[in-house]
Amino acid sequence: MWFFVFFESLVFTSYFGVYLYYRARHEQAFLRSQSHLTLWLGVVETIALLASSWSIARSVQTSRAGDHARARRDAYIAAGLGMVFLVLKVVEWVRQIQAGHTFTSSDFFQYFYFLTVIHFIHLLIGFVALGVLIYQLSSPARRDQELVETCATYWHTVDFFWVLIFALLYVVR
Amino acid sequence: MQTKLNRRLLAIWLLLSAITVGYVWIDRSANHHGARTASTVVTVSAVVLALFKVRVIMGEFMEVRGAPTLLRRLADLWIVIMAATMLGLYFAGKAAA
Repeated sequence: MWFFVFFESLVFTSYFGVYLYYRARHEQAFLRSQSHLTLWLGVVETIALLASSWSIARSVQTSRAGDHARARRDAYIAAGLGMVFLVLKVVEWVRQIQAGHTFTSSDFFQYFYFLTVIHFIHLLIGFVALGVLIYQLSSPARRDQELVETCATYWHTVDFFWVLIFALLYVVR
Repeated sequence: MQTKLNRRLLAIWLLLSAITVGYVWIDRSANHHGARTASTVVTVSAVVLALFKVRVIMGEFMEVRGAPTLLRRLADLWIVIMAATMLGLYFAGKAAA
């Protein structure tokens, strides 16, 4: 899993680097388009995903301690907070598209949709990982702690990619 | 021990959330008379703070802090590579503008 984390980090870093390069070359155009984003919405999305990551970290610890019922409950909370992020992201896309800011509107919105959709796909795969984690915790016959930790590592990776995407799309000037 | 660990995780989440809310202050402080302006200081601060958050997530939530030395060193190296790539290309773009 760590090989995947490091490999994916390099892939995302290349996307981020290209975005920053073009952004720096066309600062005013990017600033104008960026002003259509709602910073507070990005903040709430980020805090929801961080809380989800926190829940899954608790789940790993309680699972390791043998309290599998609590570990499962924390995993469900993590999935719920992930769903909050997912819904907020869809609402944000719908609002932007209704306002006329689509993939072809500007260079900034091309990067915005590209990065958020790529992340969204990773998030959907993350739900599968959470499902595997919950399945593992559901029966005494399974409970493979290593697999639980592998699934959790994937979910945290989805979280930290968003932390970077949020800073680059919403805050960078 | 469990409670202590969970309190530590709570403190980490609060720290990460506080930095996230802090971005609003950074964003507002970068405006000049209500107008959005380009700012290298804001850009570099945003990237560095985000990478700091990534290091905290890796160290605490992903438990790299207690992992073997090789993984800890690799995680730090990766963050340095990410910082150098992102900021390097940002400044290259500034120079080419």
